[in-house]
Amino acid sequence: MRIQANMKFRFHIASLVIALVALAGAYAHAQSPSVAFSAPAAVTLQAGKTGNLVLPFRVANGFHINSHKPHEDYLIPTELKLEPPSTVMVSKVDYPDGKDSSFPFAPDEKLSVYSGDFSVAVQVHALPKTPAGKYLLKGVLHFQACDNRACYPPKNTPVEFEVSVVPSSGTH
Amino acid sequence: MNRNFVILAIISVLVLGMLIFAKSATHGASGAATGVGGGAPDFALNTPDGKTLHLSDFRGKAVVLNFWATWCGPCKIEMPWFVDLQKKYESQGLQIIGVAMDDSSKEDIEKFAKEMSVNYPIVIGTEKTADTYGGLPALPTTLYIDRDGKVVDRVIGLRGRAEIEQTIQKILATKPATP
Repeated sequence: MRIQANMKFRFHIASLVIALVALAGAYAHAQSPSVAFSAPAAVTLQAGKTGNLVLPFRVANGFHINSHKPHEDYLIPTELKLEPPSTVMVSKVDYPDGKDSSFPFAPDEKLSVYSGDFSVAVQVHALPKTPAGKYLLKGVLHFQACDNRACYPPKNTPVEFEVSVVPSSGTH
Repeated sequence: MNRNFVILAIISVLVLGMLIFAKSATHGASGAATGVGGGAPDFALNTPDGKTLHLSDFRGKAVVLNFWATWCGPCKIEMPWFVDLQKKYESQGLQIIGVAMDDSSKEDIEKFAKEMSVNYPIVIGTEKTADTYGGLPALPTTLYIDRDGKVVDRVIGLRGRAEIEQTIQKILATKPATP
């Protein structure tokens, strides 16, 4: 009997913990938006060559951010800002098209946004005389998020990815 | 069993705390953090054309302090409502003040306000001013200040026009403190 009561009590405790976690999530959502970055596997390229890399991002549930090309010029575009180039550099950035969406605060207007998962494709290039080795490229994704009722000040998500340079085939 | 009750009590307090936080994050809450229920701090902020405007210039009026930014879609939605409400309730002592909180140039802010046919003063906000009003986690953030200079409500995010008008009527119905 005592064991049964104890089990029941533990069940209530577990339910409360679940409710607390859900509330914590709601609280975090109410506080501020976020865009998470998952570093991709390092790309390997020969000195003097280019390679491609996909940078995956995830916008927190319930939020959206402007695409790289919002329809209105007063909106802040999402932009990948990288540290100044060295011998290994990003030579091209391809942003995905935004999804045209309407929101309760502007039902008659279509905004070009990213929500959920999206990726930015980058082309990296190593100058011909780049010594073989691993190079860490750093920068930020600059974005401005909104939810259905409010907008949040622009923020930066740190971005870091690795490029591995190997000697070119002509090198002895 | 006693230990279980202690755990239950701790979890209950945490849940309650989370509920209070979640509510205050989206709507006016009491206490010093948001200033609701207390006196609205005075400020001296510049208009885009360089004039200085103080909140105390509007003593005795019902004031709506609307923090906004040019990049804020919901702010753009409620601005025409504020224009209409300023026109409707001006004779009864309403004063709406728009506080621009973005990095755009003064010219861009002025141009934006002109395009929105804003008929109330716009001032350029500062982080310091935002902090004195409990910080601005999101925009729009609107404070409703009664004729006695007391913050009656603080609303984060877009609300319906009817709700805005109701709160305006509430602050208009107050009486200024007798000197």
